[in-house]
Amino acid sequence: MSAGLTALMAASAGVASTLAAIRIAANSVRMMQHSEKRRHPMGKPKTSRLYLKAAPDPNVSWRWVSERGLRLATGDATLARYLALSSLNLPEIEDMIPADGSLLLILRRGEPVSADLLEALAMPLAIAHATTGKLHEIAVEYGGAAGPDLPALAELSGMDAATYIRSHTAVEYTVAFLGFQPGFPYLRGLPPALHAPRRASPRVSVPKGSVAIGGAYTGIYPASGPGGWHILGRTPVDLFDPQREAPALLMPGDHVRFVAA
Amino acid sequence: MIEVLRAGRCDLVMDQGRSGWGVLGVPTGGAADPAALAAANRLVGNDADAAGLEMILSGPVLRFPTGGVAALTGARFAATRSSGAAVVWNQTLVLAAGETLALERAEVGCRCWLALRGGVAVSPVMGSRSTFLPASFGGFQGRALQAGDMLPGDGRGGEVRLLRAHPPASLTGEALRVVAGPQAEQFDDTGLAAFFSRLYRAEAASDRRGLRLRGAAVTHRRVKLPSQGVLPGAVQIPPDGQPIILGWDGPVTGGYPVIAGLIAADWPRLAQLQPGDPVRFVTIEVDAAQALAATPWPIEEMG
Repeated sequence: MSAGLTALMAASAGVASTLAAIRIAANSVRMMQHSEKRRHPMGKPKTSRLYLKAAPDPNVSWRWVSERGLRLATGDATLARYLALSSLNLPEIEDMIPADGSLLLILRRGEPVSADLLEALAMPLAIAHATTGKLHEIAVEYGGAAGPDLPALAELSGMDAATYIRSHTAVEYTVAFLGFQPGFPYLRGLPPALHAPRRASPRVSVPKGSVAIGGAYTGIYPASGPGGWHILGRTPVDLFDPQREAPALLMPGDHVRFVAA
Repeated sequence: MIEVLRAGRCDLVMDQGRSGWGVLGVPTGGAADPAALAAANRLVGNDADAAGLEMILSGPVLRFPTGGVAALTGARFAATRSSGAAVVWNQTLVLAAGETLALERAEVGCRCWLALRGGVAVSPVMGSRSTFLPASFGGFQGRALQAGDMLPGDGRGGEVRLLRAHPPASLTGEALRVVAGPQAEQFDDTGLAAFFSRLYRAEAASDRRGLRLRGAAVTHRRVKLPSQGVLPGAVQIPPDGQPIILGWDGPVTGGYPVIAGLIAADWPRLAQLQPGDPVRFVTIEVDAAQALAATPWPIEEMG
């Protein structure tokens, strides 16, 4: 055990929580994640030839979220990386969560990162993977009771409501990832003029089907619940039904076009 | 068959969860201590992944119209049987037709699990019988049990083996082991020192989505983070500096910095924290944590 870690544990136990011990502790915690680009996820870079083979690309970097959660920085290639790893069916991967520029691999309990996974991470991605995806047309009732934030959003963007709606419907969006609620799509492609910071205080209940804007994303609430995005309309489309064979209507990589109802 | 005469605080049908749906925004979920439910199942002769009940803090009164073979694991609750027989944890219980089992308050810890021979036979949803309350699906009608519910289960017959399970030595204790999280560097010395040296307390407003803690504020530089994938055990620090440990039914993505990740071996302890219980964090290296493989509880024949 390193001196830093020993100090950290002592500090944690409240035995020697002197300022010096805490400073060493803080450095030790930082070091545990600091060398992400040089460090093998298994923690033994020098002893493995595989390491040299596996991480020639300085863009492949990772972080541990916990000992079962390996977060890869994947940038624009998140979906391609997700699809490439999915097709391999690696036994140590229990689940994968694509997000905003990163992919979280959830490892099965007690499983270290395998040589096969390291090799897969070093392989170039087939970009063709990422370009598929269905196009969905989604009818939206904009404004009024269905979209209480439309007037404020339009004003923020310096547009009238009709222009704002035209801008929102003019784009073909791409599903970047699903999160927050089952089936909640984060749609990429929102025109910059329509970006809006999240509401200062979230609503206690946002109705199911609400079409909303949060930061650089537009999205749709699959179910009623609390939410902090600005609501500009509502769709009757059922985005998530756990009883369906494909529970989520939209999948990462799919495309969405909104149509004013 | 189980008839619910009186519901507990939050009784949920659970099995080992549904994994592989993270891409849809659905977490694995399942029993908060999968090994404890698996042990209860083995005590009644079920496969480890059969569905049982997870109960929290205050339990239900259940009637078994046709009797059955049952077992309880996890936190001990004050409990009685209408037959007058003792309610013993971690061993096979044979219930007579029409017998009731009354679970009152948790004596130590927070959650316990009940398995019934044959399993609770609700229909699987997305490959699991576990209740997922945040989206109201799975389990019994996607919700916690209510008085009057009749849970299906064939309570199949056959030879009954009387077994006893041996839980791991400490399912409770204030020290939780964590690995440094992906945003650990975003925290200043004061923030890290608070997190790793101070005592926090579990808040009452905690559920399977997350355990809120209260204590010294974990200070950090406010940086706008993109949504990142998270998993149960991830310790998020929201702007007020009060840590939240994501739970079994937590969201799959989050936008708050993650200072640390609770290791899977200590999730059973997380499952047993009562509101007000003290918590402190100690670090462990990733490879040491990975070496702590899940081991089934030892089970032996009685007498």
